[in-house]
Amino acid sequence: MNGSTGHGGWCGNEGPRAGLPREGIGERTVAAGKRRFYIRLMTPTSRFGRRFLLRLAGLLPVLAGAVAMAGCRPADPDLVKIVSSLPRTGSAKHQSDTLVRGIRMAIDEAGGKVGRFRIEYLDLDDSTAAAGQWTSEAEAANARRALQDPDVCAYIGTFNSGAAKVSMPILNLGDLLMVSPANTAVGLTKPGLGVPGEPGVYRPTGRRNYTRVVPADDLQGPMAADWALRRGVKKVYILDDNEVYGKGIADLFDERCRELGVEVLGHDSIDAKAQEFKSLMASIKATKPDLVYFGGTTQSKGGQLAKDMAAAGVGADLMVPDGCLEQVFIDSAGAANLEGRCFVTFGGLPPEKLTGKGGVFVNRYREKYGELPEAYAVYGYEAARVAIEAIATAGSKDRRAICDAALAIRDFDGALGHWGFDENGDTTLRTLTVNVVKGGRFVFEEILDEADLVVPSPDEPSPRVDPPGGGSP
Amino acid sequence: MSVQFFLQQCLIGLTNGALIALVALGYTMVYGIIGLINFAHGDLIMLGACLALSLVGALGMTATGAATTWVGIGGLVLLCGLFCGLLNVAVDRIVYKPLRNAPKLAPLVSAIGVSFIFMNVGLFWLGPADKSFPELLPSTNLLHNDALQFTWKDLLVVIIVGPLMVALSVLVKGTKLGKAMRAVSQDPTAAALVGVDVDRVIAATFFIGGFLGGAASVIYGLYINTIGFQMGFQNGLYAFTAAVLGGIGSIPGAVLGGLVIGLVRALASAYVGERWTGAIVFAILIVILVFRPEGLLGRRVKEKV
Amino acid sequence: MATTRSPRTSSPPAPSTGPWAFLAQRWELATLAVLAIAPLVIPALGGALGGQVTNLFIYCILALALNVMVGYTGLVHLGIASFFGIGAYVLAILTVPMYPFQIGFLAAAVIAVLVTAGTGLALGAPTLRLRGDYLAIVTLGFGEVVKVTLRNLEQITGGMKGLNPVPPPGAGVTIAGIDLGKEFAIDPRWFYYLALLSLAGVVLAMRRLENSRLGRALVAVREDELAAQAMGISATKVKLSAFAMSSAVAGLAGCLYAASLSTTADPNAYDFNRSIMVLCAVILGGLGSIPGTLLGVAILVGFDTILAPWADSWIQQMDVNPKGLSYLSFSGWRLAFFGVALVLVMRYRPEGLIPSRRLAAELHDGGAGP
Repeated sequence: MNGSTGHGGWCGNEGPRAGLPREGIGERTVAAGKRRFYIRLMTPTSRFGRRFLLRLAGLLPVLAGAVAMAGCRPADPDLVKIVSSLPRTGSAKHQSDTLVRGIRMAIDEAGGKVGRFRIEYLDLDDSTAAAGQWTSEAEAANARRALQDPDVCAYIGTFNSGAAKVSMPILNLGDLLMVSPANTAVGLTKPGLGVPGEPGVYRPTGRRNYTRVVPADDLQGPMAADWALRRGVKKVYILDDNEVYGKGIADLFDERCRELGVEVLGHDSIDAKAQEFKSLMASIKATKPDLVYFGGTTQSKGGQLAKDMAAAGVGADLMVPDGCLEQVFIDSAGAANLEGRCFVTFGGLPPEKLTGKGGVFVNRYREKYGELPEAYAVYGYEAARVAIEAIATAGSKDRRAICDAALAIRDFDGALGHWGFDENGDTTLRTLTVNVVKGGRFVFEEILDEADLVVPSPDEPSPRVDPPGGGSP
Repeated sequence: MSVQFFLQQCLIGLTNGALIALVALGYTMVYGIIGLINFAHGDLIMLGACLALSLVGALGMTATGAATTWVGIGGLVLLCGLFCGLLNVAVDRIVYKPLRNAPKLAPLVSAIGVSFIFMNVGLFWLGPADKSFPELLPSTNLLHNDALQFTWKDLLVVIIVGPLMVALSVLVKGTKLGKAMRAVSQDPTAAALVGVDVDRVIAATFFIGGFLGGAASVIYGLYINTIGFQMGFQNGLYAFTAAVLGGIGSIPGAVLGGLVIGLVRALASAYVGERWTGAIVFAILIVILVFRPEGLLGRRVKEKV
Repeated sequence: MATTRSPRTSSPPAPSTGPWAFLAQRWELATLAVLAIAPLVIPALGGALGGQVTNLFIYCILALALNVMVGYTGLVHLGIASFFGIGAYVLAILTVPMYPFQIGFLAAAVIAVLVTAGTGLALGAPTLRLRGDYLAIVTLGFGEVVKVTLRNLEQITGGMKGLNPVPPPGAGVTIAGIDLGKEFAIDPRWFYYLALLSLAGVVLAMRRLENSRLGRALVAVREDELAAQAMGISATKVKLSAFAMSSAVAGLAGCLYAASLSTTADPNAYDFNRSIMVLCAVILGGLGSIPGTLLGVAILVGFDTILAPWADSWIQQMDVNPKGLSYLSFSGWRLAFFGVALVLVMRYRPEGLIPSRRLAAELHDGGAGP
């Protein structure tokens, strides 16, 4: 199996132009009896009647043929395509807009070229209008499309971990490099942490082709708990949005809190489609927590939650993960409701602290958009840079070589700091930044490094606490 | 848990219920007269809220607590009501009117189509992310009690629903237009035969429904304080549910249905858990309808033989 | 395959000569033949398009299931997606490695279909008295209850992570040196044929139903429940059968869906949105009409999942929008396009694209009938 097979072999150049004959049903050619039949079939009420239908029927095969043709052009020796598959319709549109901005920035920065190849970027949508969110079938179709186009050399996506589960095995069959800017479910890469069989089930060939530039949930959730304890938090109330990302991170936060002896007053899930959380906040207020942790994103009502929390008079601080590290979170919550009491974690270095290539990116981004890059812009940028770098290293369009080049990245001078991939394709970055909302903006508060965490358990001080999952409460 | 906690949850539930009822009132007008499940109503409210937000920004309205704020809110209600009412009439003319004689479910599909179009308009108007609607009302607690909270905006929602319900009932029961509406709802052909201008009556119904939607959109913005281009869906869903639960075509029924849903939601969240609220609300709804198949306040319709 | 008998109540004997008459009478057979040959001739069906068309077939099955309720029996059902979901989840529970069952696809599908039929009966029995929109709201509520339950029972359903991987049909079966499981995983055309075969079976079954005693009873109940009862038809039995059949077929579609994607996806895939879209497809195509329903799905789902993404990337490749502005991109307008399509079709074909002949005849008082 060489790298560029997959389903590419099915692409011929002859399009199915034929389709159903569309002529011959003209009014004059049809005998009266048949004519009656058609009239009956199409009902006589509409002006558009049968001609409309017949045209439609004739048009469909042509369109289908055109669609079939679209992915079946011969390979262009001077062109590489980078595609992204993100939810572009519906509630995650803002986040995916930001990601795409980062991706475009990286490609522009490379001058639209890598080595001798011209880069073409294609922004695929893995959601449908009808669903208003990502769907498995759209994601599967995107993955197959990318695979059968021999020019595609890297696949940036997905946004949702659930979608990655659909496309990972498909792309694995063709050894197409997949770089996710947003998946955080631990089971996608880390053996033993997900359900049985993960992550092997996503690699039917046994080879690896998946990497992600974001730290998985096992960094932010537990370290946020450590940070809370150091701040003197004794009682927390945990909420999540019942999505893969939010719930995963909140569960790990919960687990770590119990290990550290922080009292968990309650752990509930919200419905991301609900309009308000007033009664939930009244319940939380009655338990008097020091901190409310919300595992979720802006898109899953983080802003409304913060707003209702302030309105109900819950005095506690609010802590959220990087899914909320974007200006629209503050906008939707109302800056006054977050002022000085909302803490946001982020896996990587804050923009101000970046040097080298990362610093250059921050400056350019600020020049172009007049603001510091948001979390998703950084992740999108970093994912595209990884893809470009891998193609450059491989120096060819051999998909297997590109995957190997990406997985071999050990020291990357990126917008998140210096980092590399470990053997699972996960980032080695184990640094957590805590930001606080001040004056309507995110302000850098503190950097935590996993290695520095020496947290005494409240009863008996121990020099070091086992990583999550291994320790006992 | 304490009695006060229970009371607080009831208060929250009833207030939320009043908001649902407010949306359901506009909904039930159209629904009761021409039987159209108007899935676009929630999105109409979304557009009204967009306009309200733009107006608040343009006029620079802030929370002063003074009488001018109340006048401003009144103006907003009027403007957004007019906007939504006229929009609704326009949609009726362009989209639903050609379908008057079509099978009953055909306009439903059109309504869903309109809802998608509205959503796209909202997407460009607001942008893809949720927007904060400024707090125009002071958030002082009216009850002077630490454990019980009831603010101006809660009061606004609650006091606006009752009079509206009465006014609508009077309109439908007591005026000539109302009589025409009821006639059209029973049999449009027969109504036309006795001289009712069916198209005008339906247009008036759409205007009233839209106006109420516009008013609800302002109240929604003031009470929930967040609007987004996808907010219409949940609104429409609960409004439809409230209208059916109360009894199709019954105006007090729509209000009662809204209050029941709000109350069940709040109590389910407080005593079972937020994550189960959606299931509990609808499970109770199913149980109620199994025992009262014509809704809470609906009349049993005699079978025609 | 699909019915070769001409339905008893169908059109008057059309002239027996000429290819058009043949096509008109035997449209199912002709379409089936074209679709069966297509993957062998059109190479793209071995790739992304194949998966998309397979998906289309699955939605056709789902829409036919809903058609039994809404089209034939006249019961508005807003929760068909929940049965689709139950089918998918039961199949997944019986086959994924997480559970000890791991029975084969066929056995699991049979059980899943039985379970969904049973669930349909359980929902139908207490709600038989409800009429019109009251029933609609109950089915809508049932859909929400199922969705929330699937989401919250994490130990059983995997919550938002869903259950995966659902092994492909024939996993571990080797026939004539071909490892079926592997073939299914690699080449979408295997699923294409499986879905096509199932669809043909369902269409055949629906044709038989339309002309059976039960089928006519369904229509009689739709038209006038009291009169039907006066004629000795048990409305209870008829409605319950409709519930059971519709749920069972939706469950079958769910099985195919989960197997073809190798995951159940998350419970949001089975929410109200999906129910309403399938309902739209059925109404758009023509209530109670099999070809209408199929065409409705082909247009609605085809537009949203095949045409729209294709147009999107086509526009992107023309490079008219180098800055990536939202209002210049296709995805920015996608909702509106979809909405306009719905409105326009209903505007010009208010009775659906291919209305049921029976229904059209009634609506136009013999205008369309002989």
